[in-house]
Amino acid sequence: MWMLLSGLLLGWSLGANHTANVFGTGVATGTVSYRAAILLTAVFVALGAFLEGPKCMSTVGALSRLTAMDAFHCALAAGIMMSLLTFLSFPGSASQAIVGAVIGAGILSGTADFSKLYKVVVCWVFTPFLSILASFTFYRLFRYVLDMIDASLTQRNLIYSVGTILIGCYGAYCLGANNVANVTGVYVGSGVLSPFAASLIGGFSIAIGVLTYSKKVMMTVGKGIAPLDPFSALVAVFAGAFTMHVFTQVGVPVSSSQAAVGAVVGVGIVGDIQTVSIRMLTKIVVGWVSAPAFAALLTCLFIKLDRMGGFAAFFEIFR
Amino acid sequence: MFLERLFSSGKKERDVTEKMRRHLELLCDVCSKFKTALENQDRNLMCDVIDLERQGDSIRRAVISLIYEGAFLPFLRPDLCKFVEVVDEVFDLLKDTATYCRSTELPEPLRDECVRVALLNFRMSEMLLSSFDAMLKNYDLREKALAIRIYEKKIDDMKFYIIDEAQKIPVSDFWSGKILSDLISGLTSISDVIEDASDHLQIINISMR
Amino acid sequence: MQVREFMNTRIESIDADRSVYDAVEIMVDRRFRSLAVTFSGKLSKTSFDGVVTARDIVFKVLAKGVNPKKVKVSEIASRPIICISQETSIQEAATLMEKSNIARLYVCDGDKVVGMISMLDIMAAELIVRARGSHVS
Repeated sequence: MWMLLSGLLLGWSLGANHTANVFGTGVATGTVSYRAAILLTAVFVALGAFLEGPKCMSTVGALSRLTAMDAFHCALAAGIMMSLLTFLSFPGSASQAIVGAVIGAGILSGTADFSKLYKVVVCWVFTPFLSILASFTFYRLFRYVLDMIDASLTQRNLIYSVGTILIGCYGAYCLGANNVANVTGVYVGSGVLSPFAASLIGGFSIAIGVLTYSKKVMMTVGKGIAPLDPFSALVAVFAGAFTMHVFTQVGVPVSSSQAAVGAVVGVGIVGDIQTVSIRMLTKIVVGWVSAPAFAALLTCLFIKLDRMGGFAAFFEIFR
Repeated sequence: MFLERLFSSGKKERDVTEKMRRHLELLCDVCSKFKTALENQDRNLMCDVIDLERQGDSIRRAVISLIYEGAFLPFLRPDLCKFVEVVDEVFDLLKDTATYCRSTELPEPLRDECVRVALLNFRMSEMLLSSFDAMLKNYDLREKALAIRIYEKKIDDMKFYIIDEAQKIPVSDFWSGKILSDLISGLTSISDVIEDASDHLQIINISMR
Repeated sequence: MQVREFMNTRIESIDADRSVYDAVEIMVDRRFRSLAVTFSGKLSKTSFDGVVTARDIVFKVLAKGVNPKKVKVSEIASRPIICISQETSIQEAATLMEKSNIARLYVCDGDKVVGMISMLDIMAAELIVRARGSHVS
């Protein structure tokens, strides 16, 4: 069971890193208090993980044939990567970190399944584009609906404030549903946990991350992106969440950061404004590239160390 | 907080908008009284104008405290407060100008033009109220904003004429001259501030679309 | 809306005996498109007998290569001026402008000229009427 610790670390860092994509703008504009945001996120992330988490579990585990120890090393490497990115205030992709780690382990054991990796990478590439398209479409659609119902100023105010909260909850749900596979999918693949148990434990660890360490990234994400009006912010969060929900049905865990940034870019396209600074985009791209690469390297390092009598011996002391 | 907001279903916001509307109705009333007082050189009516400014002040204070007690999205609050402050500036200008009118007799050559300016100020205040109503219903404010700018431009043209004519009028001493100058300055600045207020309404309208 | 609300009360005038060059100077310096012309011999705000416009000056003098210093305002002014009352509606004023093919009308109170309304004023008044008309009750 100590092998689950690395997964819990990964879940914690994922929760800390990704709450910003859900309630970042809501908290930054003062529409939602920080406390309410993290409470709601924790509850709905766990709910999403529990209800739809199992859908993506098989994908992660099937990329390589993993032993229980391999699962531990992969989750540890990915968890360390995510924690480092959170500490440095870079938005990172847990999906890419864990997949990099699993492939790294697979390369070392010679069991890496590149055909399955191909499917995952295609989904990754499509994520920002689908997100841009979704936000562009929803922007037009919601705007049309608002104009049709002829909402007054006070009605719009109510719609935006209640909407921010409801859509944030949906975003948290989708985050849990799609990303819990990143956290505990490796244990399902290696047979340590059932998909149900993995969803529960993974969802719980993400919720803890949300509650304890999400403030740092929440403030950075808000700063690097052009301030959005309440309507655009609503559409962006919804589009990002919707994109993730789509990929949950496909069965592939994707990056919530990519989905979020794509949605914000899409909203910018509609309004003909540059919503994301080049500096922020650079930071994001660096995170995306470095996370899987370093996670893969770290995994290989841990596995090698372990073969020299590393971790297992270390934890034996505590038995 | 969320549940409270949901169940109040905008009561705080409605209170704020009602008070803001009352503020603008009062402005129209004051502008109308000012124009009549100027036309008839009625000093008592000018006193009413000065008194009504205090009423405007108290409405402004009530609106701002309601806003900061939690009405409207935090995103919108600064713009709403700014608008109320700008409208209050109009009241202040009217009060000051009314005070000068009480201290001096408006020279005959300037009277007609000054009364016309006061009339146009009144028309602008009516248009501002109309713009506010339109903003609440989320209508396009372009036409009304343009109308306000047209009035302001007209008053600007009249201002130069009034100043030209005023320079031909002999004054008995420095203070008479100063009071007359301040009166003209105040009277012709009211339209600038109303135009400012109209611009702020546009900002609120656009940010909530 | 009546013309009284939108008329210009500031009427600039020039004596009929002055040269077109003087008229050009005044009009360019103060950005007027027309000047009321007085034939009585003295500048009086209350009696005008004609109007000289930018069109008159350009078409009748400058386009023909004539020296404006050698032409008197009285030679090119249009007269008499067309007068309307203060109670005339903007719509009626516009119709009269169209019928007479002129760009401005003088607003009179009896014999006294109290203001002038131009095409630009008509357009501005139209915008105001529209803005008022789309007033939300």
